[in-house]
Amino acid sequence: MSRRLLAGVLGMLLGWALNAAAFELNINKLVDVIGKTKDLKPVDDRGEAEIGSGVAANLLGAVPLVQDEKLQAYVNRLGLWLALQTERADLPWRFGVLDSDSINAFAAPGGYVFVTRGLLLRMRSEAELAGVLAHEIGHVLKRHHLQAIQKNAQTGILADLVSLAADNAQRGDLAQKAISAGTELYVRGLDKNDEFEADRIGVVLAARAGYDPYGLPAVLQTLEAMNAQDSSLALMFKTHPAPAQRLQLLDAAMTGKLERYAAQPQMAERFEKTVGDYIRRVR
Amino acid sequence: MNAGHLKIAVIAAALCWFSGMAGAGETAQTLAGTELKSEPFIDAGTVATLPAGSAVEIVKRQGGWMQVKSAGGDSGWLKMTGVKLGGSADAKGDSGLGTLWNVARSGRSGSTGVTVATGVRGLSPEDLKNAKPAPEAVKKLDSFAAAKKDAEAFAGKAALRRQTIDYIADAGSGNAASGGGRK
Repeated sequence: MSRRLLAGVLGMLLGWALNAAAFELNINKLVDVIGKTKDLKPVDDRGEAEIGSGVAANLLGAVPLVQDEKLQAYVNRLGLWLALQTERADLPWRFGVLDSDSINAFAAPGGYVFVTRGLLLRMRSEAELAGVLAHEIGHVLKRHHLQAIQKNAQTGILADLVSLAADNAQRGDLAQKAISAGTELYVRGLDKNDEFEADRIGVVLAARAGYDPYGLPAVLQTLEAMNAQDSSLALMFKTHPAPAQRLQLLDAAMTGKLERYAAQPQMAERFEKTVGDYIRRVR
Repeated sequence: MNAGHLKIAVIAAALCWFSGMAGAGETAQTLAGTELKSEPFIDAGTVATLPAGSAVEIVKRQGGWMQVKSAGGDSGWLKMTGVKLGGSADAKGDSGLGTLWNVARSGRSGSTGVTVATGVRGLSPEDLKNAKPAPEAVKKLDSFAAAKKDAEAFAGKAALRRQTIDYIADAGSGNAASGGGRK
């Protein structure tokens, strides 16, 4: 009798223990999932490069590159000079001018940066172009697109992009999903705080590279003055905070920090010569 | 396609765009009542006081300041954040006068009066959604990549001097000391 009781009590205890263990396991899993969305593990370099080239291929499928090697070489030299001033100087940086009259610029993971012809032709100097390219470089440095892909995916399979590193069967599928999600970001936009951060990085990189850091603010002022109904601005305005707000925040952040570099070169003449030669070649 | 349209515009473009250096020839309006400064510093002397909405002609931009001429004929400096580009309140997407784009697009010049519109090649959400991947274009892009020595030579020709500068914080989050007046 007492043995049976003992057995019963033991059985109950064992049951609790098992339940508790299972419960704890679930809690751990839950904590793990929550933890992932809060503190996402970075995608490794190989995964980043794979996602980046896939996203770039999609973008270039929507809008081709300007077919002008000299103009592309110019933008690549300027862009790399800026990227060399960063903590990710060793990425395979690629810069491209897109053959579109829309006014926009894009970055893709792994070191891809694009500016449209429409935006390029509205600039006045190399310092302005430097500011825009450096803003996009900022998105790459901070892995804004990768983080947005992971955050948007929440607890789904994409949240664990880190497994791209492993050569498992799901790898190709996972990469494709990440590439689609990354391309979608060009339509949906990044978090506005990511844009403000990229603005602040952009002006610092321009100054580090020896340019007048007020080129990016000057471009924002150009955008601010444009008619918001202008169709060439539609996508940019849909996906970015208002230029006036960006300009105000940037000016405040630069005050006392970057004014001393304001007399650095703007390189207006080289810019006008290079872009002007391109326009002449287009005839 | 764009090439063809641009072709005619280029003739006019070549004539007038060299006036476009760093904002020259552009106009702006003061956003609020403001003091026109004798130099590009907050604590510089005041040349004149301009009411909100004053039209000014931009001479050049230097850092965060614009050198301007007022309608009254005064010359001086205004903070760039204190003005909005464009001459009048209803600038119909026609702002940024003096930039290459405007000239290339409209093909207008004062002397010829030629008007040519380029075809507008847009980039819409639909374009992006319906895009077929173009991996060959990514390869083409790779072929444009600059070598480190090219980038350094590019900077050297312009006498661009490398600076060591820390990243900056959001002015709202850090202790952003206002050093605007110092120099």
